[in-house]
Amino acid sequence: MNLPGFLRGMPQVFLQEFRGNLKSVRFLIMALVATLVIVGGAYGISGFTAGFGGGARPIVVWPHAAVDGSGNHIAVAWVSDGFGAPLARRAVTFANMTTRNLIGEVTTNAEGFARLNVGNASEVLVEASLGTFENSASILWGFVEPYNFTVASSQDDLDGDFALDDFSLHVLDLAGDPVAGTVRVNGNVTGSLDAHGFLLLELSPGQWNITLDVAGETFVTTAYVSEGGELPFFTGPDFVLLTIASLSSWIVSIFAIVISFDAVSKERVQGTMDLLLSRPASRTGVLLGKFLSSFVAVALPVTLVNLAGIGAISAASGQAPTGSLATAFVGYSLLLIVYYVFLMLAVSTLVKTSGTAVLFGVLIWLLLNILYPIVTFILSAALSGGDPATQFRINQSAALANPSSIVGALIALAAPAALLGTGGGTALDASALGAAAVFWFLLLFALALWTFQKKASE
Amino acid sequence: MIEVEGVTKVYGGSGGAKALDGVTFRVPKQSVFGFLGPNGAGKTTTIRILATVLEPTEGTVRIDGHNLREEPIAVKERLGLMPDEVLFYPTLTGMQHLLYYASFYAIPRADARAKAKDLLERFSLADAARKKLKAYSHGMKKRLALAQCLLHDPEVLIMDEPANGLDPAGMRYFRDLIRWLNKEGKTIFLSSHMLSEVEQLCERVGIIDRGKIVAVDTIASLTSRLAVGAPTILHVAATGISDTAVEALRAIPGVTNVEATPVGVDVTAEAGSDVSAEVSKVLVLAGAALREIRAEQRSLEDLFLALTRGGGP
Repeated sequence: MNLPGFLRGMPQVFLQEFRGNLKSVRFLIMALVATLVIVGGAYGISGFTAGFGGGARPIVVWPHAAVDGSGNHIAVAWVSDGFGAPLARRAVTFANMTTRNLIGEVTTNAEGFARLNVGNASEVLVEASLGTFENSASILWGFVEPYNFTVASSQDDLDGDFALDDFSLHVLDLAGDPVAGTVRVNGNVTGSLDAHGFLLLELSPGQWNITLDVAGETFVTTAYVSEGGELPFFTGPDFVLLTIASLSSWIVSIFAIVISFDAVSKERVQGTMDLLLSRPASRTGVLLGKFLSSFVAVALPVTLVNLAGIGAISAASGQAPTGSLATAFVGYSLLLIVYYVFLMLAVSTLVKTSGTAVLFGVLIWLLLNILYPIVTFILSAALSGGDPATQFRINQSAALANPSSIVGALIALAAPAALLGTGGGTALDASALGAAAVFWFLLLFALALWTFQKKASE
Repeated sequence: MIEVEGVTKVYGGSGGAKALDGVTFRVPKQSVFGFLGPNGAGKTTTIRILATVLEPTEGTVRIDGHNLREEPIAVKERLGLMPDEVLFYPTLTGMQHLLYYASFYAIPRADARAKAKDLLERFSLADAARKKLKAYSHGMKKRLALAQCLLHDPEVLIMDEPANGLDPAGMRYFRDLIRWLNKEGKTIFLSSHMLSEVEQLCERVGIIDRGKIVAVDTIASLTSRLAVGAPTILHVAATGISDTAVEALRAIPGVTNVEATPVGVDVTAEAGSDVSAEVSKVLVLAGAALREIRAEQRSLEDLFLALTRGGGP
């Protein structure tokens, strides 16, 4: 392979160093830590947050007590997502409510229904799961039904607006089949049950009389929607991915520092620098070889772990994160690696020992990831005069001076608008962020190249 | 083959320490050139510049006609460096080292492997070829250092203290090796503290002190120049030298001093005086049993001490 003169030596140095990186204990440790934090965190946070606060539940079991022509009790479960879309081919278990002994397991049909003849059982616990999220409900017989239908209802915060203002109804007849019906809210007809017997209403704050009319029978219930003020607690794959992106940026930057901190200084310590520089290789080629070996050694496991993290979020929450956000997460993590590797190559060239390089690596990490964000947060709070929007803008603008923060802002830029204020969104436009990202790339590349050209042999 | 003209090296910018100051010398093709100087004189800086590791602040270096500043790659392809401190990558084997270094040259992989194997055998390292460098002794590392600089069959070898730290057998091994390499047509730039080594191997030497070249010539020419103006000393081995004989020796015209030694006397005469025949005659007439009269030769060590800080007060 004929390379331009300024790249001579790059492949040789890359291969040699890359092999060394892959065999190193620190590589194995960091790959393991990254896997535990990112994949484990993604799976754990998805499962943990799925049961809390607002946001659509990924799976809802609507329980109904039905009876067949022979008087057998038929336990009916309609399984849908939070918005009423039926979930087919989900396993539903039916168990004795008291003993928890399994009565049977049925897979939902294409319409989301699972039905099981439970004989004369009077209390059945029905349960279905999606990823790590489970939903269960109880079905009771023995009451005299006042209507020729059964109603299951739920009040949720499906759209993440911090208010339990989404009221859902699911209605079946006593045989366990969907019925037609209309719904009035405070007397005004608002909607009809769909083909599965489901209706979702979004209510404003206040008290509402919900009236259901089915085949001449009227069922009335009351819904109360508070003025809000609940703590914003988002769930869902995008929110989890944004949370993981914050954790990931810490781990990825540490990974890059750990792999590259002594890329140059070790040559000096081992006494191999003069032998290397006397080879027919350009210094640019040697530096780029060292850069690539560190970059690829970090980028490969990090990309795999990030993809596995996205997979874990999808598996745990039953829904994949938004594509653009996932792409930004994976792509901009690579940019973060580039920044830190170039930075550490410059540091590694300037210092005389690997111990000093480690110290500088720790200080740089603390400065960019802890100290700078704290200082800019305090300054933005002081300068904003108490206006949260101004503080947000100042904080975001300050991110332009920190390569770590730029990567975070770029990922936030790709987040859906619904996540604005919870880690998503940015006060900066894409062009400003893009220009800053390119600027930092060029600056750190030039810094690493200049220091290596001038200081590698001293 | 090696042309160094007015090379100056300043560390740490324009106000920094001047390690080399207008260094100029030439090393003819297929010669062994000794490079001498006390510690801190600028030897290693010169070697690192020749090896393209450092760039000179001023001046020109040409190797086989290629300007180091303008054609660094062409220069690198023509030289092999054997540094003083032979430290390698501790986790690589000897063979892996040679293959890694060979990969920088346009040597096909199979040829590089064959060449590396051949060199390891030649330098008695075949059994250790698959051992990691941390298991190598100092002598083994020295031999591997030599092997790595011969991989691409360079025309110029730059050796910094090649026999440093070796036992007498190892030193002799390297001496023979350098002679053989020279016979093979290599031009060898040899820096060494061991003046006896340089004296035995080199036709020409350069002496550097405080960053300046203080002498460049053949050893014979330099020592003869040193002898001009210096007193002549005769080492006399004889028995039965009486006090009368000593007095007679002192009376010889031109003799400035006579000192008794365990084997006879040392007679010092003025510069340019040849008193050996008169000394012989006086001793025989005085009844002494004369075995040998030998005029003291000026050594490279004398030259070194005379020209460098080692010769000062």
